[in-house]
Amino acid sequence: MDTGVFLLILAWGLYAGCIYILLAIGLNLIFGVMKVVNFAHGELLMIAAYATFWVYTYSGINPYLVIPAVVLLMAFLGVLIERLCFRPILGTGKLNEIFLSLGLIYVFQNLAALLWSAGSRSIHSPYSGISVSIGSITLPLDYVAIIVITFIILIVFHVFMKRTTVGRAMRATSQNREAATLMGINVERIDMLSFALGSTLAAVAGSLWMISGQMVTPYMGAIPAIKAFAVIIIGGLGSIPGAIVAGLTLGIAENIVPFFIQSLVAVFGVEMSFTAWKDTIAFFILIVVLVIRPTGIFGEKGE
Amino acid sequence: MNKKYRYGILFTVLAISVLLAGCVEKPGETPSGAAGEIKIGIVAPVTGGASTTGTDMWQAAVLAADEINAQGGVSVNGANMKVKLIKGDTETSREGGVKAVTKLITVDKVDLLIGGFSSGITYADQVVAAEHKVPFIITGASSPIITRRTDIDTSYFFHHCPTTDDYPESTLLFVDDAVKPAIYTKFDFDADRPLRLGVIYQDSKYGEGVYDGIKKTIEKNNLNMEIISAEKFKMSETDFRAVLTTIKAAKPDVVYPAAFLNEQTLIVAQGRRDVGLNTIYLSVECNDDPDYYTGVGEWGEYSIQESRFGPYAHPAGAIRSSVLKFRDDFESKWGASPGMMGASTYEGVYIAAKAIKNANSVDKEKVRASLAELEMPQIIEVMKDSTITFSPDYRESKFALYMQQLIMDEAAGETRPKIVWPKSVKETDFVLPDWYEPGTGGA
Repeated sequence: MDTGVFLLILAWGLYAGCIYILLAIGLNLIFGVMKVVNFAHGELLMIAAYATFWVYTYSGINPYLVIPAVVLLMAFLGVLIERLCFRPILGTGKLNEIFLSLGLIYVFQNLAALLWSAGSRSIHSPYSGISVSIGSITLPLDYVAIIVITFIILIVFHVFMKRTTVGRAMRATSQNREAATLMGINVERIDMLSFALGSTLAAVAGSLWMISGQMVTPYMGAIPAIKAFAVIIIGGLGSIPGAIVAGLTLGIAENIVPFFIQSLVAVFGVEMSFTAWKDTIAFFILIVVLVIRPTGIFGEKGE
Repeated sequence: MNKKYRYGILFTVLAISVLLAGCVEKPGETPSGAAGEIKIGIVAPVTGGASTTGTDMWQAAVLAADEINAQGGVSVNGANMKVKLIKGDTETSREGGVKAVTKLITVDKVDLLIGGFSSGITYADQVVAAEHKVPFIITGASSPIITRRTDIDTSYFFHHCPTTDDYPESTLLFVDDAVKPAIYTKFDFDADRPLRLGVIYQDSKYGEGVYDGIKKTIEKNNLNMEIISAEKFKMSETDFRAVLTTIKAAKPDVVYPAAFLNEQTLIVAQGRRDVGLNTIYLSVECNDDPDYYTGVGEWGEYSIQESRFGPYAHPAGAIRSSVLKFRDDFESKWGASPGMMGASTYEGVYIAAKAIKNANSVDKEKVRASLAELEMPQIIEVMKDSTITFSPDYRESKFALYMQQLIMDEAAGETRPKIVWPKSVKETDFVLPDWYEPGTGGA
């Protein structure tokens, strides 16, 4: 494979990884603090993408400036979900939490179909015609912006979790809920804030998804959510650095590996396309990591 | 949490669920008297991922039934029978399709079935129709295997929509006739140089069917074309950048995606905007839809859209007035524009009415025989020889497909299709854009 082509595919993988990371970190945060697996997390991305579409279409303002409004809206929705759905059943059994989040998938999908129809929606970024040269490759400006924004968010998130009182309280609740309560932390409030923060990260992922020219339909949340689950399992449940490493690995691997396999089998005279194997590769990595290290790359025993 | 609060939440959730259930689906039946009815089951994905298409099919069928009933119904044995439609929602799934067809046949006791969207779903649910020997006019499944499979009795299936063999044939004949000469003249390529074709296709019966159709067409018509890259993608894929990057590296003259609307939109937009693959993109007919033109925006300009019924361009000739009347009547009744699957389903109801009238009976075997011998004038889609008839071998009707090129419409703020081929119905000539970049291997 030509070096330029390889670097370009690497860049597309980096972009895909950014979306996975944002979604996975939000999911991981909610799981870490509340020990709740929210299968409807992909639907939060879907609703944020619709919100971006509507705010941008009706206001006409720069889509990057739409992100804060969508973040606020999704934080509010996150609080509502936590208060009305997860809070009442917390601690009543894992099956209840799983089926509640599965139920939420159908509620959100049908609501979206009812409100916006099953047709697809997309937006056109005002910068979509601008490209920037980085070394030997040329990338659209929006992708460079998406990668930069993701890394800024990750740095801010890291500082928030390490340096602020609320961040420390979230980490404490994540490590030992009972001890955190004994230390005077209002864990129910932390639950609510974690859900809000997890939803805002999904909101950023949804907005950036739309800005990159992707399409939103009521049923599009499933695939990114499955990838986000794979990311947190590969990275280690509850581990933020693990989610970052796994997100980038997955994004890059699923884009590059099909072409390596294709080149490899071509040596033996077999002409076959492996580009439809993206998900297979993602889950093959997941299986390999689980077999070698069941807790994930950065996971600890007992998580 | 106190009990009152908990019950309050429970009541609210239940109330919303009931409300949503009511909004999502209503039992679908067109009003009609009980006696002297022809019961037709409309098999369509009214809910789920393809609900837009399913709703379009159902609404078009209702329009046709209303028109037929307004004219007195169908004359059978001296009595005028009204057409009664019964909705069979496949829920955009194979299991839903089997459930819907089973209910239509065993509970609703329909005389005939029309519809069937997506080859995968129809492949599953047609087994039930074959077992019960119920005639089925298939208006939304593109795989030719639907009437060619050998594991069931397919003699009751009549395919009234172009197949994945038909799309590439018309499209590549057009490329050979109009696109290739334009490229070769502009870049002074040797006439012996094969046209370099890149293919990107969905990993499904539909996608593989189109890819097979491309290969068959090149061979059958001895076209001087070479497939230089053929890449698959998973259904509902959203990220095509990596695969388009490798196709670009193979240097194609033309790229032929076999994709559904959302995928096609992203292939063209990501190809032009992100990857810089500045080529002529071809497109299969199911994408001739307002959502496609809105979604693909300026990136779709100068791409090619194969079609048989579309929202914006209408073929010239005698059929034009019928097409416009159907479109206006549909919009007036439903407040939305009809789609391609709606058009063939609309015709499907008329085909059923004509076959029953010719058979002078609703007996399923007589209706099947009548459909096999049917010959009726084209209705709102251009047919080969202007006639709707089913081929004796695989019971397929043959459409005269046309090619459109997307041209920017400043007033609309997005592209609009103009018919560029064949000569008999074209509105304007094919244009090779200034930004077009050919593959290598020139003179």
